[in-house]
Amino acid sequence: MSDERRNSSDKTGENDEVLQWVTFKLENEVYGINVMQVQEVLRYSEIAPVPGAPLYVLGIINLRGNVVTVIDTRSRFGLEPCDVTDNTRVVVIESEKQVIGILVDSVAEVVYLKASEIDDAPNVGNDESAQFIQGVSNREGELLILVDLDKLLSDDEWDELKQF
Amino acid sequence: MSKPLAASKKVMKNYLSELLTDEPLMQERSKHELTDRENSKSVEDKRLETLLKNVNAELKVKENDVTTHKSVSEKIDSKKIIVNDIIEENKFEPLVTHKSTGSLIPKKSKPYRQGDFQALFFNVGGLTVAVPLIELGGIHKIEKTTTLMGKPDWFKGVMLYRDEKINVVDTALWVMPEKCDEKMKSSLNYQYVIMLSDSAWGLTAENLVDTVVLKQDEVKWLDTPSKRPWLAGLVKDKMCALLDVDALIQLLNDGSGIHQDD
Repeated sequence: MSDERRNSSDKTGENDEVLQWVTFKLENEVYGINVMQVQEVLRYSEIAPVPGAPLYVLGIINLRGNVVTVIDTRSRFGLEPCDVTDNTRVVVIESEKQVIGILVDSVAEVVYLKASEIDDAPNVGNDESAQFIQGVSNREGELLILVDLDKLLSDDEWDELKQF
Repeated sequence: MSKPLAASKKVMKNYLSELLTDEPLMQERSKHELTDRENSKSVEDKRLETLLKNVNAELKVKENDVTTHKSVSEKIDSKKIIVNDIIEENKFEPLVTHKSTGSLIPKKSKPYRQGDFQALFFNVGGLTVAVPLIELGGIHKIEKTTTLMGKPDWFKGVMLYRDEKINVVDTALWVMPEKCDEKMKSSLNYQYVIMLSDSAWGLTAENLVDTVVLKQDEVKWLDTPSKRPWLAGLVKDKMCALLDVDALIQLLNDGSGIHQDD
């Protein structure tokens, strides 16, 4: 996580800073990602598979002449695959100095959360995917799971993506 | 009740009744085992003696042929003896392993270990479990649980209750993971979350059975540290487990399943 973002999520700071999060849905859960990392949200378009690509890569899309690798977010989160619908979106994000796309079931809204409203997730489980969770927040009676995009892939996997 | 549920209940009952079996019976059984072992040992000794006699007889015949070999082997034997002595000197250091100290959580004295106390009985997957009422944090109707990725199977998710975030445990998956096949999982109908003391942990329950006043002698207490720290004792009448809530909270905080290595 960059220093800027780490500092902004520091609950012990003098100001209870308000952060913006883009929320999306996968299965029945709502996830949030830091708005500063989101470049744009695209409607689903044909994703071209890449032979020999790692399992977590769905393929590539052409974004105004730039090739963007799309990650299979469902498999990354340990969820079963599902069919593409009208609500399916590709969220283009910047993380670890790379631009990638993540496929989600739908994008909901941008929400404002105070740093003090974010709690740590229960520290249970050693599974790799457990570290994706940056925190949880109770928003209007619904639990929002905040995702640390930098940890979505391991260092080796980020390096591997550079070769695309 | 469906057949697999009845079967699992029966298995658990047998298991619990085995735990409840008095120690003298076990001692008698072990005595029988000892005498059997002694008998077989004496037979074994006789067989070894005859074998040794035969070998000695053979050695006497071939003694002249093996003199050089024998002297060499004697030298080696003397070396072996020296090495053994050194090893024995080092033997006095106490051997402590992490396993022997790590898995056993010392039991603290509980307020319900004196006089009568109330316990809540609840059902999950055909199994009845009891919790001392004094260690109960509350009972909530189960609502939507949010699943978090990367958590153990027994971690059902986070349930929001007013401003609290409750960590909901799938009790059946925690207590009897080996019996929880897909069929059983789909048959589970959780209705309540039973809060453990003042922690954020809650156990799912299908039905609340009753609250009962228990006398000290109605429970077979397991006060010595064991490999089941979550088990305070066994309720003799209902043949069910009485939970040690503090130990259970500690295990859940550590992310341990019932076998502590999950």
